[in-house]
Amino acid sequence: METESFIPRENDSSIWTEKYRPDKFEGLVGQDEIVNKVQGLTKAMNIPHLLFAGPAGTGKSTLALIVVKELFGDTWKENYLELNASDERGIDVVRQKVKDFARTKALGNVPFKVIFLDEADALTKEAQQALRRTMENYTKTCRFVMSCNYSSKIIDPIQSRCVIFRFKLLEKKDIEKRIKFIAEREKLQLSDATIEAIYEASEGDCRRTINLLQASASISPSITSELIQTLVAGAKPAEIKIVLEYALSGDFLRAKEKLLDVMLKESISGTDVIKSIQKEVWNLQIEDELKVRLTEKTGEIEFRLVEGSDEFIQLEALLASFVLAGKGV
Amino acid sequence: MRLPLIEKYRAASFSEIKGQDLAIQDIRDFFESFPKKRAIILNGAVGTGKTSMVLALAKEYDLELFELNASDLRNKSSLEAVLKPSTQQSSLFQKGKLILMDEADGITGSDRGGVSELIRLIAETQFPIVITANDIWQKKFSPLRQKCKIINLKELDESVIREILYGVIDKEGKKLSQETFDLIVKKSQGDARAALNDLELALNLGEGEFINELSEREKRDDIFNVLKNVFQAPTDLGIVRAYDSVHMDLNEISLWIEENIPLEYKGEALVKAYDALSKADIFKGRIYRQQHWRFLVYQNFFLSAGISSATKVKYNKFTKYQKPSRILKIWLANQRNAKRKSVMGKCARLCHMSKKKMMKEAFLMPFILSELGDRDKARLDLDEKEAAYIEDKKVSLILANGLNRFRV
Repeated sequence: METESFIPRENDSSIWTEKYRPDKFEGLVGQDEIVNKVQGLTKAMNIPHLLFAGPAGTGKSTLALIVVKELFGDTWKENYLELNASDERGIDVVRQKVKDFARTKALGNVPFKVIFLDEADALTKEAQQALRRTMENYTKTCRFVMSCNYSSKIIDPIQSRCVIFRFKLLEKKDIEKRIKFIAEREKLQLSDATIEAIYEASEGDCRRTINLLQASASISPSITSELIQTLVAGAKPAEIKIVLEYALSGDFLRAKEKLLDVMLKESISGTDVIKSIQKEVWNLQIEDELKVRLTEKTGEIEFRLVEGSDEFIQLEALLASFVLAGKGV
Repeated sequence: MRLPLIEKYRAASFSEIKGQDLAIQDIRDFFESFPKKRAIILNGAVGTGKTSMVLALAKEYDLELFELNASDLRNKSSLEAVLKPSTQQSSLFQKGKLILMDEADGITGSDRGGVSELIRLIAETQFPIVITANDIWQKKFSPLRQKCKIINLKELDESVIREILYGVIDKEGKKLSQETFDLIVKKSQGDARAALNDLELALNLGEGEFINELSEREKRDDIFNVLKNVFQAPTDLGIVRAYDSVHMDLNEISLWIEENIPLEYKGEALVKAYDALSKADIFKGRIYRQQHWRFLVYQNFFLSAGISSATKVKYNKFTKYQKPSRILKIWLANQRNAKRKSVMGKCARLCHMSKKKMMKEAFLMPFILSELGDRDKARLDLDEKEAAYIEDKKVSLILANGLNRFRV
């Protein structure tokens, strides 16, 4: 069977994203070229700083974990520090933690420890500058593996100190393989149509795929595409559509209230809201020319949000444009 | 039912109206010489006794009072009912009528023709008409002024306000410290109604609480007036200084504007106003990021001139401005979401993810977390409330989406 090549060592986790997280290079799907190169570097027992760039759920954290497990074997936990740039408040915390961790020598044969800095693109430019100095100071005792969605958000001096690997979005066949593999282990029944639905819903994100699979399985071992769609629809800010409908019908006050309600109830961020607005605009029952203009406005508002403007005020300004569009203006 | 002091002690006759002796003589002359002039305008600031004077007039001459407002002017049938000569239903006991057009300032631009309707009414009326106004010298009233006798009521002297308050406190059998008493008098600025309302508040709340309330109200009054000015008044050069007198910073004002734009503007004006507000917000962001405080000028400009110029159609209407509700709603939501955050935070650690990413999976996790093995449960280390959150969330997701129909 072809699945033989990626049998993961099953650990005892009952969370499937962990249970089926590959811990051998062979287990990682869809990134063959990267895996080959990184495996080569790891075998030499000496790795440079690494920068993994790519979309969510394509194997960046998994590969980092595989690297340290290969390097350190059973002592990997003592020699590995995982930091999340988006969770740690400020570069000072990062620096202090790095310092504390790097102060002691690595255990075992490998002369360095490994720090995995997840979502490094969440750090501001200033924080990245400070991080760069930290990297230099501890270069003898530490290697950094960093992950990010966009390498363009990482400053050049850091990029030039790292070997960069660009992860591809997983292809349908890779995701399909993974789903079938897990389904077999967990004794799930699902049709090709269901697999298709899962793939559609998770957009090439393997983590989302597996979470979706496990959540569905908790309802029924026989998973239909309708179950998948219902689960996903319940979570998407589908209500954003209602907000837009209110606005288009001219009822600004209700649109505004509903927006606040949706955002607060599910703590959805302004950028998530604007993403679904952007997707929704094209499906609206209005003139194409208006759709183009509204999309332009949506892009402008998204830009302002990224810049750090107040999400409620900016989104309300956008909704006001929809009110006008509803009148065909 | 307990009457508010302002009604309980409203002057019942001319002799009880304080400080307006000249005006009272004028209004008597007008009525006794009717129809030499058919209408009279009582012009004066709020709380100077205009309405009391009309009520006293009706009482003194035993007249039936008919009150009109701006919208009645446009409504022929209700007008005719008032104007119909009493001869048609004459009776020995038929009272004379007095027509009161209260607060003529309320006749607005959108009420175009309101003034000329009123003039037509004056020409036809069989009964004396009294018009009250705060500022009859506005341009739109110029044709009206020619048809009427104008009586100006001056603001009440402090001594008159004192006299009124003493009388009421005495009749109520209450006591008040000299400081509070003086404060009420000062604050009233010659407005007897305001003074009596404050007195009532002070007697009901207790004096300490009353003083707190006053400072709060001052802030509110401030912002209400300024909002009305910014939204409704014609945009003039002074508009950029609109917020100078308000004891709030621009960010708080911006919340007030945000809350109240949809109560004032519709359509294109609404869009323009939000556009201005969003631009003010952009500059606010730039101030914070770059610490470049000069940008305040632009934040202020968009909040004042930007909002004001969103519409060219100016009007004068009463809007019940709402307090900003967003901050409170966010706070409440954070309280509600605190459990989810802490659960997802713990779960993120277990799955080698950031909390932020984990929050995006939050809609799936209740299903997964509710079936954890013992070892994972121990590692997750949830407290009781967090564990209960997961179960609650799972059940509500199942119910809300009708997931039970998928069970085999």
